[in-house]
Amino acid sequence: MSEPLSKIPSGFRYYSAREARARRFVETTSMNVFAGWSYEEIVTPTVDYYSLFEQGMGETEAQRSFRLVDVDGRLLAFRPDVTTSIARAAETLFAKRARPLRLCYSATVFRQHTQSSADWRRELTQIGCELLGKNSTAADMEVLAIATELLQRLQLNRTFVITLSDAEIFGGIVENLGLDAKARDELRRLVDIRALSELERFLNTYTSAEESAAFANLIQLSGRSEIFARARQVITNTRSRAALDRLESLWRIIESIGYAANFEIDLGDVARLDYYTGLTFKIYVGGLGVRLGSGGRYDHLTGKFGRAEPAVGFVVELDALAELLAKEEQPNLSNQPENLLVSFDIDGAGAVFEKAMKLRAANRQVRIDGEETSWPS
Amino acid sequence: MAQLTIAIPKGRLEAETLELFAAARLRLPAHRDPRQLACLDESGETRFIFVKPSDVPVYVEHGIADCGVVGRDVLFESEADLLQPLSLDIGSCRIAVAAPADLPENGHAMLRVATKYPRIASRYFGERGQPVEIIQLSGSVELAPVLGLADCIVDLVETGRTLRENGLKVTEVIAESAAQLVVNRASYQLKANVIAELISALKGVVLLREVARASRP
Repeated sequence: MSEPLSKIPSGFRYYSAREARARRFVETTSMNVFAGWSYEEIVTPTVDYYSLFEQGMGETEAQRSFRLVDVDGRLLAFRPDVTTSIARAAETLFAKRARPLRLCYSATVFRQHTQSSADWRRELTQIGCELLGKNSTAADMEVLAIATELLQRLQLNRTFVITLSDAEIFGGIVENLGLDAKARDELRRLVDIRALSELERFLNTYTSAEESAAFANLIQLSGRSEIFARARQVITNTRSRAALDRLESLWRIIESIGYAANFEIDLGDVARLDYYTGLTFKIYVGGLGVRLGSGGRYDHLTGKFGRAEPAVGFVVELDALAELLAKEEQPNLSNQPENLLVSFDIDGAGAVFEKAMKLRAANRQVRIDGEETSWPS
Repeated sequence: MAQLTIAIPKGRLEAETLELFAAARLRLPAHRDPRQLACLDESGETRFIFVKPSDVPVYVEHGIADCGVVGRDVLFESEADLLQPLSLDIGSCRIAVAAPADLPENGHAMLRVATKYPRIASRYFGERGQPVEIIQLSGSVELAPVLGLADCIVDLVETGRTLRENGLKVTEVIAESAAQLVVNRASYQLKANVIAELISALKGVVLLREVARASRP
């Protein structure tokens, strides 16, 4: 028996009316913010070689993609992310362009395998921007400022928080403890799920009990400027210290421009460490059980496609944002058209389109109505 | 509007969880009709929802509940992306392989495994290169080897009594399981203070109980 045509594959769906308007609003608002910071839109191919994503995202992530075979037998994939493709373009197509490169996008990405039940979508729309060719606190601050403006412009009636960390803090600790790859992954996992007692036990085999407890305590909670002094008491290796210094100078800027209310330091953020090389951040919004977006500095990625150059960027999930907005009382999303009715009944068949076109020329919204009986057949 | 929503697993862990919360001087649900599945505490600040154990990770991962209490068996099986800040000192048991006799050593033969935990079972045997046929059941798993549906089972073992009564014995222990406090990733950031208070209150009781047990002869 064949499937009924009414059935839609899992992880895909239709959007219409208010939901569709919310999606359009999020996209337009975001792209306007990017344009306001002089980011050029880039449209990347929907389908690309699988090996590109394997190089850029790592095997585990890339394997979640939808794959298909090209006529010459090579493996293709529906893009599971956009950043990889942008990094490749930066070192090939745009290799000779002046730096810094400022690029932005709004694009659908596809995943054959979802990670969990809360992450059910297999077609997602990602909105993001990348700043390539600049390695400075100012560049990091630029993308954070853009992310903040974007969230403010959407006028969500909810609090949002952006948590900051630096991948090198953890990197320095791993190096200092002399961990092999397996131990590193275990430490990362324990920090990531904040399993504090297990973490203490794990660290105890490498360092003193006091240091283990202090470190577990440090990653337990996010905080603000007070975190730095506490972190320096626990973390003494030069590599982590340099990262802490970097993060603190970024924090000072955030404080000085009065943005601190929406930011926190979270030294327990250790996601995707082989990808990020410096600043990492995550965006959370009240009322949303999942992360809204993430970003950071990835200075090694472009090197896989040519010259290695510094890069920083972020991505937000349009689907989650639009879903939140659609649930709210949002004046931007109401569809109360002026509804200037142009009617066959009232205006007469001959005049309907003449009147409608005139109103349209004046940018008014029209709706054609009435019985079409008088329309010449 | 409640500040915090906590998912409590119905059944095996329910009473022990509520007792632990009481010991931690956390506010408890006001008198509850057992049919009532959601209720507020006396202050109205905390909402408790009572759900099937396997649904706790689902509610917490979606952020409908900010945190919850769940056995590690359920957590391993769900593979949900959750924070696990505290191991609670309740519901201790083992996830184990049990069979009528020791399993044959020849790793090539296909082993039929009956279980409520298909993911845990296939991961465990997969890591050992043992080919298995997983037969997913939803209860009375011990019956499967007795009736010849499976060669062995993967199940939660508390006292081992049910196993013995059905002529089974533990052949391998896969993992120790105890109840775990789980927290939604977004709530952990957005409700940091309330959740930190909850963790530290529970942690105090867990530590006290550990000390008490260690000093017992």
